[in-house]
Amino acid sequence: MGRDGRDGFVSRRRFIELAAGGLACAAAGLSIFRDSGEAEAAEKLITKVSRPYDAETPVEAFASWITPNDRFFVRSHFGPPPSDRIDPASWRLSVKGLVARELSLSLSDLSRFEEVNVTAVVQCSGNGRAFYRPRAGGVQWRKGAVGNARWTGVQLRDVLAKAGVQAKAKHLHLLGADRPVLPSTPLFHRSIPLEKALHPDTILAYQMNGEPLPLLHGAPLRLIAPGWMADACVKWLTDLTLGETEAPGYYMQTAYRYPARPVQPGEQIKPADLRPVEAMIVKSLITSPHDGGTANGEIVVQGVAWTGEGRIVSVELSADEGRTWSKAKLTGDDVPYAWRTWEHAWRAPRPGSYGLLCRATDDRGHTQPERSPWNPSGFLWNGWDRITVDVTA
Amino acid sequence: MICGCSVGAPSSTATNEPPASANLRAEGLLLSRCAVCHSTDLVTQQRLDRGRWEATIDKMAHWGAEVSKEEAVMLADYLSARYHPDVPDQEPAHEPEHAAEPLRVETPAAAGRPPGETAHGEVVYAHNCQACHGSGAIGGVGPKLSGNPILGDEDRFWETVLHGRGAMPAWEAALNAQEIADVRAWLGSLK
Repeated sequence: MGRDGRDGFVSRRRFIELAAGGLACAAAGLSIFRDSGEAEAAEKLITKVSRPYDAETPVEAFASWITPNDRFFVRSHFGPPPSDRIDPASWRLSVKGLVARELSLSLSDLSRFEEVNVTAVVQCSGNGRAFYRPRAGGVQWRKGAVGNARWTGVQLRDVLAKAGVQAKAKHLHLLGADRPVLPSTPLFHRSIPLEKALHPDTILAYQMNGEPLPLLHGAPLRLIAPGWMADACVKWLTDLTLGETEAPGYYMQTAYRYPARPVQPGEQIKPADLRPVEAMIVKSLITSPHDGGTANGEIVVQGVAWTGEGRIVSVELSADEGRTWSKAKLTGDDVPYAWRTWEHAWRAPRPGSYGLLCRATDDRGHTQPERSPWNPSGFLWNGWDRITVDVTA
Repeated sequence: MICGCSVGAPSSTATNEPPASANLRAEGLLLSRCAVCHSTDLVTQQRLDRGRWEATIDKMAHWGAEVSKEEAVMLADYLSARYHPDVPDQEPAHEPEHAAEPLRVETPAAAGRPPGETAHGEVVYAHNCQACHGSGAIGGVGPKLSGNPILGDEDRFWETVLHGRGAMPAWEAALNAQEIADVRAWLGSLK
């Protein structure tokens, strides 16, 4: 800081900028300590938190049906583990708890199971949190804490079958190799119900879009629970433990929970009225034109739409603040768990600034609301997407 | 990249603005106690009322943040005056130059490099450095400092502590010259 000051004087603003800059640089500088790819990622993503690195994808990158690895959103509570904890040579996946026999599997052990692929949307539960009013605490994600990738790995149920699941097991506890800076901070210890763990589409993934899982995305192994929010998709996996109850601790018992009934902002909610966040809900984004962009003539509005464990059946567009809606055309393939692309040709009646809105409906009859119901942690935002475009001619 | 994160960014028109000296101390606490685990951009993007700031600071203290009761109040004063629900979203900062009064930052460089006191250095280390560099300076998230060649390069040591390096934050606002000298003396005493 002093090096930018003159004669020991630094303007308060400069002081503050420099102080913050030191921390922002910390993200890039992490590669000095461990080659995490954060510096490269920072150029292609919107940084939300410098350390541990959290970043969202600019919406225009969703023009590609598959979100490239280096543009895929990044979220973790503690950042990637030190390399020695996930060294492919010494890394093991431990399967234990209520099993017939405990397993300790290397990557080559895992490669003996049948390989499967699933293209699935992975989305942070807090995606869109910044749109809630009143504000919810946490990373202020806007639109891009979501992505669609092709995941390759093995069926979790095959691995669990090899260990032999005891009849009284009801939940699978998941723990990764990432650790907080301070030992007094709770671990990111999560669990999913056994039914989801045994679902044939739930996989232990070691590849993302045909490449070995990148460090920021959970190398060497992460869970992919298709249709569910990303807090189930634990990265840097090392421990699978079968238990009778949900995982203990803050990140399962307190965090990532959603009220089971409508609540008022500021209302005290009893823990018994909160449920774990699980499946995604219907949602869509306009990927083109860009928010704040200009256009003329006929515009082909394009976007993506997705839901949890169902299918998208329609996407609608409005250019008059939601008074009237026109059906968009669903394009591309209808792939379970992946997002669906759509487009709609639109011509502005006259030059001017227009708000364009979109909303999707899934096969369970759920349609995106104008605004999502408020909840204390700002989860599951799926309000209508909105962009503005200036039509010049 | 967008890093729109300045510790003191969108100042509010709140009436109960704490005095400048308290602000400076709170900024120091943000860097030295909160930024041990996460960068301050996570803090400055929040818009919470005082009750929720207090609850957040309390949660962090339970999780291991070294914050005394008095420091927790100072942080709650500072954060709830700046980052309350009525403050607009942070735009990528274009704060006008005249927005803030110039403030004299007393740099340890100006205060020189006093001789260090080993015993006190151990205390300062435990409160400020140990979380990342480990008990006994054997390393952790940050590098091992015991026996580290940087201890033999006094300029580089001071430069690193004052201004940060890589993942390490700058400590200029949090530690005074005597404390830095004490930590260096204690590190040098480790075998």
